[in-house]
Amino acid sequence: MGQLNLKKVQKYYGTFEVLKGIELEVRNGEFVVFVGPSGCGKSTLLRMIAGLDETSSGDIMIDGKRVNDLPPVKRGIAMVFQSYALYPHMSVFENIAFPLRVEKMAEEKLKAKVENAARILHLEQRLQQKPGLLSGGQRQRVAIGRAIVREPKIFLFDEPLSNLDAALRADMRIELAKLHKQLKATMIYVTHDQVEAMTMADRIVVLNAGEISQIGAPLELYHKPANMFVAGFIGNPRMNMLPVLCKAVGAGGVEVEYKGQFVTIPVGGRPDLVGQPLTLGVRPEHIHIGQSDLSMTVVPSVIERLGAHTVAYASLDGESENFCAMLPGSAAIRADETVPIGIAATDCHLFDASGIALERRVELTDIDMGLLKIGGA
Amino acid sequence: MSTQPAMINRYRWYELIGIYAGILAFLTFILAPFVEGFLVSLKPLSQLFSSPYRFIPQNGSFEAYRTMWVSVPGFARYIFNSFFISTIVTTVVLILVVPAAYAFARFKFKGSGQLLGAFLAVNMFSGAVLLIPLFRLMRTFGVLNTYFAIIVPGVAFLIPSAIWLLRTYMMRIPRELDEAAFVDGASHFYTLRRVILPIAMPGITVVAITTFIGSYAQQFIYALTFNSKTEYAPLPVGLFAYFGRQEVIWNELMAASFVGIAPAMIVIFFLQRYLVSGLTAGAVKQ
Repeated sequence: MGQLNLKKVQKYYGTFEVLKGIELEVRNGEFVVFVGPSGCGKSTLLRMIAGLDETSSGDIMIDGKRVNDLPPVKRGIAMVFQSYALYPHMSVFENIAFPLRVEKMAEEKLKAKVENAARILHLEQRLQQKPGLLSGGQRQRVAIGRAIVREPKIFLFDEPLSNLDAALRADMRIELAKLHKQLKATMIYVTHDQVEAMTMADRIVVLNAGEISQIGAPLELYHKPANMFVAGFIGNPRMNMLPVLCKAVGAGGVEVEYKGQFVTIPVGGRPDLVGQPLTLGVRPEHIHIGQSDLSMTVVPSVIERLGAHTVAYASLDGESENFCAMLPGSAAIRADETVPIGIAATDCHLFDASGIALERRVELTDIDMGLLKIGGA
Repeated sequence: MSTQPAMINRYRWYELIGIYAGILAFLTFILAPFVEGFLVSLKPLSQLFSSPYRFIPQNGSFEAYRTMWVSVPGFARYIFNSFFISTIVTTVVLILVVPAAYAFARFKFKGSGQLLGAFLAVNMFSGAVLLIPLFRLMRTFGVLNTYFAIIVPGVAFLIPSAIWLLRTYMMRIPRELDEAAFVDGASHFYTLRRVILPIAMPGITVVAITTFIGSYAQQFIYALTFNSKTEYAPLPVGLFAYFGRQEVIWNELMAASFVGIAPAMIVIFFLQRYLVSGLTAGAVKQ
């Protein structure tokens, strides 16, 4: 078992409220990723679950038992640190065996456990070496090995891949996903890297300024962000935001005006929105060359050709932020030359004045709806 | 091949000459007394006051290294006492300072800053100022003329600098190592013993060496004040035996000085191998 419940969890540093009443339920065997910008409180929350930081108020429950006052070892958790935290004077074997030595496990059983962990993590050939001789990826695997031998109910990962280079990070992502499948353990993973979050998570918890912005399956967050923060945070390059005016709310959606053009976005609206300023969001990858429901011309100032894609940046009249379009690799555009672009109404997101998304009513035919339901948030 | 950074030739030739000349002058200043002391130990007594003064001995020999044991028959005892006292002082200081430095490095508790400041303040007192109060204290406890009277003040005066030195070293050990051990169920004591101590070994060695040397050099004032018995007297007191009523046996005094510091040199030589830097390599990604 490895069920985690957070009930109104708060954390204060002095009078500063770092975490503002976090409510979360993590199911047994789930891979949950905490994601958010620096300083949003994600690492603090993880350290509180681990028992390294005190909880100011609220309850942390593991398998139905309140663990606020228990030391880490009695919570049934194991943690992998960003900096690996390996003991430099001990061999890989002794590093992995450390928690078992603490609990004074019999030598034979200990050896079997360490060797099993080493086999899972492909470290059999390294057991007698010191951490200083290992590569970054191998060191991180040793740190994971130290967590595995404890057979914890819940694994906690604090940005475990952020010190690795890009290629190694991609490999380790796949290894961690495999490990999760193999161990079937509950895993909670903190990262600021949305690619890690999107690729590994069953559910993502997006944190912003000490609050949960949204909880959901990766694609749910991508296609149905609950607010402007999540819309901007998930997806790379960031979603473009355009100021529009609400003209009408009807059965077909919300009609908005953008620079004299009228377009009906298929989202759920309220009558009181009519006449209000709204924000229209569109992802760079949903912009096409040519005409569509909403059409305009832009003059890209910078063009990045990445092979598979061409990313164009332009500034729209009267807006300070860069407008970004991700076009096919073969797109025939040049910097400083006018390009006609179009946006389909079904690709658009709408946010009210307080930044809350209006429920999209589009048929997400290109998405597996079953996948979207995993979170059920 | 020519990808070496330009750092290598940071100094121009005349700057290098200046730097080396400075180092040479400094070393001469430091080493000249030792060299002269050694040369004196090789000279016969009659040559010492010859005019003009000869720096290099004529017919130099190690005769004084033999006769010094005859002139002061109990000299071996003085060496033993010094060595014994310094070893005990160093051991006691380490036993007390290692956990203290760990606590100061890792735990936030009320008054820890003030306490550290107080330790530093103790070091600012000259030992001479405290001699009389210490003498009265030793007399009250009835420990005058024992090893105890030389060891205890030595420990007390050497602890503050040892705590500061080791605390600074331990603060450089990544805190994640303690946290990882804590998550794995290790107690603070277990973490100190199995994780921190081995990593802090170079720092502990530095403390051991400085304490040993400090104790070796410091014994004189306590030994003269709190002890009048030959059997507990350390080396600095023993050297006084070469000061006769009529004359000072300079060559034997110098020979005895060199023989006297030999055990300390041997200890330092052996401790040195623990001064391995970069022991934390691979512990955490910096």
